[in-house]
Amino acid sequence: MSKKKLCITLSNFLRRTTSIHQYSTLNFSSPQIKLSSSPFQIQIPNFHKSTFHYFGFLRFSGKRNRCSKSAEKLQSSNSRCWNCDAVPTASESEAPFLFCESCRCIQPVDYSIDYFQIFGLEKKYDIEAKNLEGKYKDWQKKLHPDLVHSKSQKEREFAAEQSARVIDAYSTLRKPLSRGIYMMKLDGVEVDEEQTISDPELLAEIMEIREEVEEATNSEALNHILSQMQEKMQIWSTAFVDAFQSQNFEEAKTSIQRMTYYSRVIEEVVKKL
Amino acid sequence: MAEQAYTVASDSETTGEEKSSTFPEIAIGVDIGTSQCSVAVWNGSQVELLKNTRNQKMMRSYVTFKEDTPSGGVSSQLFHEHDLLSGATIFNMKRLIGRVDTDPVIHASKNLPFLVQTLDIGVRPFIAALVNNMWRSTTPEEVLAIFLVELRAMAEAQLKRPIRNIVLTVPVSFSRFQLTRIERTCAMAGLHVLRLMPEPTAVALLYGQHQQQASHENTGSGCEKIALIFNMGAGYCDVAVTATAGGVSQIKALAGYTIGGEDLLQNMMCYLLPDSQSLFKNHGVKEIKSMGLLRVATQDAIHQLSSQTNVQVDVDLGDGLKICKVVDREEFEEVNKNLFEKCESLIIQCLQDAKVEVEDVNDVIIVGGCSFIPKVKNLVTNIFKGKEPYKGMNPLEAAVCGAAVEGAVASGINDPFGYLDLLTIQATPLAIGIRANGNNFIPLIPRNTTMPARKDVVFTTIHDNQTEALILVYEGEGKKVEENHMLGYFKITGIPRAPKGVPEINVCMDIDAANVLRVLAGVVMPGCRQPAIPVMEVRMPTVDDGHGWCAEALNRTYGASLNLVTLQKKA
Repeated sequence: MSKKKLCITLSNFLRRTTSIHQYSTLNFSSPQIKLSSSPFQIQIPNFHKSTFHYFGFLRFSGKRNRCSKSAEKLQSSNSRCWNCDAVPTASESEAPFLFCESCRCIQPVDYSIDYFQIFGLEKKYDIEAKNLEGKYKDWQKKLHPDLVHSKSQKEREFAAEQSARVIDAYSTLRKPLSRGIYMMKLDGVEVDEEQTISDPELLAEIMEIREEVEEATNSEALNHILSQMQEKMQIWSTAFVDAFQSQNFEEAKTSIQRMTYYSRVIEEVVKKL
Repeated sequence: MAEQAYTVASDSETTGEEKSSTFPEIAIGVDIGTSQCSVAVWNGSQVELLKNTRNQKMMRSYVTFKEDTPSGGVSSQLFHEHDLLSGATIFNMKRLIGRVDTDPVIHASKNLPFLVQTLDIGVRPFIAALVNNMWRSTTPEEVLAIFLVELRAMAEAQLKRPIRNIVLTVPVSFSRFQLTRIERTCAMAGLHVLRLMPEPTAVALLYGQHQQQASHENTGSGCEKIALIFNMGAGYCDVAVTATAGGVSQIKALAGYTIGGEDLLQNMMCYLLPDSQSLFKNHGVKEIKSMGLLRVATQDAIHQLSSQTNVQVDVDLGDGLKICKVVDREEFEEVNKNLFEKCESLIIQCLQDAKVEVEDVNDVIIVGGCSFIPKVKNLVTNIFKGKEPYKGMNPLEAAVCGAAVEGAVASGINDPFGYLDLLTIQATPLAIGIRANGNNFIPLIPRNTTMPARKDVVFTTIHDNQTEALILVYEGEGKKVEENHMLGYFKITGIPRAPKGVPEINVCMDIDAANVLRVLAGVVMPGCRQPAIPVMEVRMPTVDDGHGWCAEALNRTYGASLNLVTLQKKA
């Protein structure tokens, strides 16, 4: 395996508002997350004290790291409730441990649990987005800060972090494009949506579509473009799935880039309609 | 009547998150309308509206200034429309609060029967009541505080306990600056705002409770339901799309604008007496009386047009000025055509933002004082292809009932039947961002982002060796900063000397579940892991008065020397 380089963006310094001087050492070689074959440690701010969440602000550069695990294997033996020290029950261990059923206490954010695991899903592109909302609401009903007014300051902070993370997870997985980008990110591939296009073929295509949209005056023409774009979205999302499965990340990136553009056109058309 | 002085509580008391751990009481729900107010409380099994000594649930929102103690619409014994119009009575506080004298809403308020004067320089307008032929200056905050003191006394007398915590409904279009003003006003009246709820979200919560009850009684399907809430009162028009399931309501989108019954009234007054603006410019005792009479007559006519197709307006304004005219409903609708179109566009915008199709909406809820106007009902149902509006909500009481339910939920009250097993996940009604790339508004948190939310964007310097930068925080929808509300500003200093475009200035905005906005800014030099200077964290808003002025002064003094641009990521 190649050497992993961990680069931390400024964002995570920004998160550290309540605990600027408190650091904790997090061992990334724990069984929950495999970043590297050899154990190595990194200093990052103490999650527990901070009001903020960190995931997504640590950028992993380097090749694929296998942090996707099925939800069942998630629970390591040492995860216990911080409050009552209970071990998650059998039914709970099926789901990620964000909330302790025995003392009804919100747990600190565990960033090794990815968005798919939060929703009890296998890490794949083709998911039923419709089913997300119910799960999302179930979580919010347990985790939302509005519901823990009477609890300790500590738990209220956990609630704020957990709830925000579930919102992020929900909005990321709901849309195919952001879901795809997130999957790449989990595999250590950063996709820059703002990246300028270098492919002349795509460039020409984009210009053409732009013109079409501008010239379209009636809803019929716009609807025509819309269905064209949706078709293209479909084609490229299939291409993405194929590329991703065969771990051809360059190809996958290209697909994502195209999808980004088509989705923007769709947005524009919908606005005009 | 005993004298009720209002007290000024410190700001820290109003924020008092720490205190929220031990609630001694169920927070009451308060709906301060532009025209009417109401108070409700969860009585242990359901919501109950409180009544004043005259057995009214709806109390007019006004305060009359006298030589001694001012008195408001909650307590005053005598009530006659015309007493409101002697120049001593201030009303429409909700339209005036937190606005500077360049605001079009303030300008439109100049023909109210009291004094609203502007200098058009971005400071507070001069508002005054006529007491013994002398103008007594006041502020919307003061007037509202006096009114709230009365409201509080009424609630305390009925509930036989001290009242401190309230849940207050506010218009969607209120800026954070206005929200701060409202909170401060409540503090003046000795009240602690547990939560400020956009009005349609309070209705959404109530709807969520209805659905929850229906599914308990096995009459509902228990699956997710989408509702559109259209709430138009005297001062504001608000729209929300909510998706509710299992007692959890997700606010998918909000839209709001300062239009309401007051604007319909103003347009009608102009229609009946085209040169009313110039006639009433002087604000003498006589003019105020005429203005008042015209106002009352027009208002009555509009009310009657809700149930009949035409109405006879017959009013003697004094000085030989008489209006005698038959107005029919079509005329009224034509005069207010633009306003009704704006209402339609708000609904359409809200549906688009929520990414919800007309067909997906299970229920259409029309509430607020203007819901009695046939045209309003029609324009909403037309968008939904003739769908019958939701029944089972009192249009005037829905918002306050929702606030009362939220008051009970937020106070940690449990209900044996699970009727308080509710949650509303709120969204931000307005975009928040900073000034960058010249005079442009760069939103960091777009409108209709689910709360709690956090977003960050990287900016950079525009000059070589620029060591300082100004973070100007705005809220609104305009592309240029001047079209938006300034919430505050702060300076970051000590940026290491470097060519322009090199330092990475990371600006992060964070809104927590209590809707507190914080702005953080840090500087990183490429290749460094540590921030170059300590991260600055500022709670917004920071500006108090005259922010229009302040932006101009900043611009005059600093020009572009402290400007920023968005940093383009290198491919």
